[in-house]
Amino acid sequence: MGILEISHVTKSFGSNRVIKDLSFSVPEHAVFGFIGQNGAGKTTTMKMVLGLLKADSGEIYVNGEKVSFGQTATNRFIGYLPDVPEFYGFMTPREYLAMCGQITGMFPDKVKEKSTELLKLVGLEGVNKQIRNFSRGMKQRMGIAQALLNSPKLLICDEPTSALDPIGRKEILDILYSVREHTTVIFSTHILSDMERICDRVAFIHDGNIALNGTLDEIKGIRKGEGIEIDFMHKKDAAFFLQNYSSGVLSEETRIVLKKQSEDDIIEIMRFLSQKNIAVRRLERLEPGLEDLFLEVVKG
Amino acid sequence: MKEKRFQLLILSPLKRTWGIKMKQWTAFIKKEYLEQLRTGKLLVLLILFCLFGIMNPAIAKLTPWMMEILSSQMEESGMIVTGVKVDAMTSWVQFFKNMPMALIVFMIMFSGSFTTEYQKGTLVNVVTKGMKRYKILAAKMGIMMMIWTLGCLVSFGITFGYNAFFWDNSVVHHIGFSVFCFYLLGLWLTADLILASVLCQSASAVMIVTGVMFLVSYLIGMIPVVSEYLPTYLLRSGELLTGAKSAGGYCISVAVTIFFIVLEAVLSTVIFNKRNL
Ligand SMILES: Nc1ncnc2c1ncn2[C@@H]1O[C@H](COP(=O)(O)OP(=O)(O)O)[C@@H](O)[C@H]1O
Ligand SMILES: [Mg+2]
Repeated sequence: MGILEISHVTKSFGSNRVIKDLSFSVPEHAVFGFIGQNGAGKTTTMKMVLGLLKADSGEIYVNGEKVSFGQTATNRFIGYLPDVPEFYGFMTPREYLAMCGQITGMFPDKVKEKSTELLKLVGLEGVNKQIRNFSRGMKQRMGIAQALLNSPKLLICDEPTSALDPIGRKEILDILYSVREHTTVIFSTHILSDMERICDRVAFIHDGNIALNGTLDEIKGIRKGEGIEIDFMHKKDAAFFLQNYSSGVLSEETRIVLKKQSEDDIIEIMRFLSQKNIAVRRLERLEPGLEDLFLEVVKG
Repeated sequence: MKEKRFQLLILSPLKRTWGIKMKQWTAFIKKEYLEQLRTGKLLVLLILFCLFGIMNPAIAKLTPWMMEILSSQMEESGMIVTGVKVDAMTSWVQFFKNMPMALIVFMIMFSGSFTTEYQKGTLVNVVTKGMKRYKILAAKMGIMMMIWTLGCLVSFGITFGYNAFFWDNSVVHHIGFSVFCFYLLGLWLTADLILASVLCQSASAVMIVTGVMFLVSYLIGMIPVVSEYLPTYLLRSGELLTGAKSAGGYCISVAVTIFFIVLEAVLSTVIFNKRNL
C-alpha cells in the first residue's frame, strides 16, 4: 500500500466533469510528478486529497487512512504548498512558522530548531521583514518551509515552479529533490523539463483520467527506439533516400527522421543503405523526451 | 529519578494533549490579535470608541451655547427660547443616539475578517496544518466580541466619567442595565456577522446579509405584540433612563438575544465545517 492511494475518484463542477474515474497510487519515498495541461484537474485532485474539496465518488487513502472532507485528520501526514501560496502578510517568516508549529502541536523548542533549519534550507534565513513584502519566489520558498515544518510523510506541491524564472525554478527543484529521503514528494506541473529533472515516477492526467503512469524509465521506454534519425554525408543521398522512404521527414539538409520504426525496420533500412552503397555519418535511434509523449497523450 | 519517570510517563502525555488543545487556540487568537494590532485596526477602533465616549458629554455641554446662538437669531424673528437645562440625562440620551453609529463602523471593520481569508486562501494553510475549524471560528468570534466589549467599556467609561464630573449620574435610571442591553445587541449583530461570513464570499455580501438579519428583526418588531420578544427591542433600552419603564420588560428580549447568539454560533460552526475555503 502506497502513502497515497486514489481509487475511482470522480468530481464535477456543475456539468463540467473534471475528474472521471481517477485511480493511482504513490509509493513511499518517491518524487512523484503529476503532469497535465492547464485545467486538467491537478489542483482539483490535490484539494480532494487534502479534504478541501469533496469527491463525488471514490476513495482516497493517505498513509492507509481514509480521507474525509472538512475535518481532515489525514492532513497530519501531509505538508501542502498551494499553487498560489498566501500567508498572513503582517507576520514575519519566523512568526508564521511559530504559529504553524503551535497549530500542529509541536513543542516550542522543536519549532525554533526546525524553523532555523528550514529557513536555511529554503534560503530565507535572516529575512526578518513581513511576508507582505515578499516576492513571488520568496513566498514559494516560504511555502515549502511551512509545508515541511511538521516533517510530513507526504509533501504535496501544486505547480511550485510555474510562476518562477529558470533560476528560481532550479532552486525550488533542488530543494524538493533534497527532501526526498525523509518524505514522499508529489508535485504537479505542466513544465515537462522540471519533471524529467527530479522525478522518479510520473502520472499524466488527461481528460479526467490517468493516461500514463509509471517510473520515468518505464514511461520513456514505452516509445524507446520508435523513431530513428539518419544523418547523410551528401544531400543527394538524402534526397534519394526520401524517394524510397516517403514517410521520412527532412529535418535538416542532410538529416532525415523516420517515425515508428521497429528493430526489423531498422535492419531493413540498413540493408537498403548498404545495397545502394550509401554511407551515412550517423544513424541513431531517438529516445523521445517527455515532451513528445505528452503531445502524443494529449492528441490521443 | 523516580519522579522524573513519573513525569515522563504520566504528566507528559497529559501535558501534551492539553498543550495541543490549548495551543491551537492561543496560536490563532495570537494571530488575530497581531493582525488587528499591525494592520492598525485596533488603534482605529480604540480612537473611535474614545471619540464616541467624549462626544456625548461634549454635545450636551455645547447645547446651551448653540441654543444661545440660535435663540439670538430667533429673537429677531420674534421667538423666545428660555433657558435650556442640560444634565447627565442629555449626555446619556446622546450616548444611545450615537453608539449605533459606532456599532456600524465596528461591523464594517470586521465584515472582511473571513472573506479576505477565503479570497487569499490563507485559511487553507491553517486547516491543512490540522487546525480544527471550530477553533478558527471561535477565535475570530472571541476577538471580535472582546474588542466590542472593550470598546463599549471605553465609551461608557468616558461618558460616565465626564458626566460625573460635570453633572450627576444619579438622575438617570438603570444606566448599567440599559447600556448592557445595547452591548448585548452588539454581540448579537457580531454573531449575525459571523453567520453571514460563513455563508458569503465577499465583505459586501456579508454586510448585506447582516443588514437583512437586523432588518427582519426590526420589521417584525413593528408589530406591537411581538416586539419585546426580539433582539432589536434592545435598541430601545434608552427609554429606561427616565425611570418611566421597568427593567423587567427587557428581560425576555435579553433572553431571546442570548438564545439567538448561541444558536447562530452553533449554526455557523456546522456550516463552516463543511464549507469550501
Ligand atoms: N471551484 C470551481 N468551480 C468550478 N469549476 C472549477 C473549480 N475549480 C476548478 N474548476 C474547473 O475544473 C477544471 C480543472 O481545474 P484545475 O484542477 O484547477 O486544473 P489544473 O490545476 O490542472 O490546471 C478547470 O476546467 C476549472 O475550470
Ligand atoms: Mg492548478
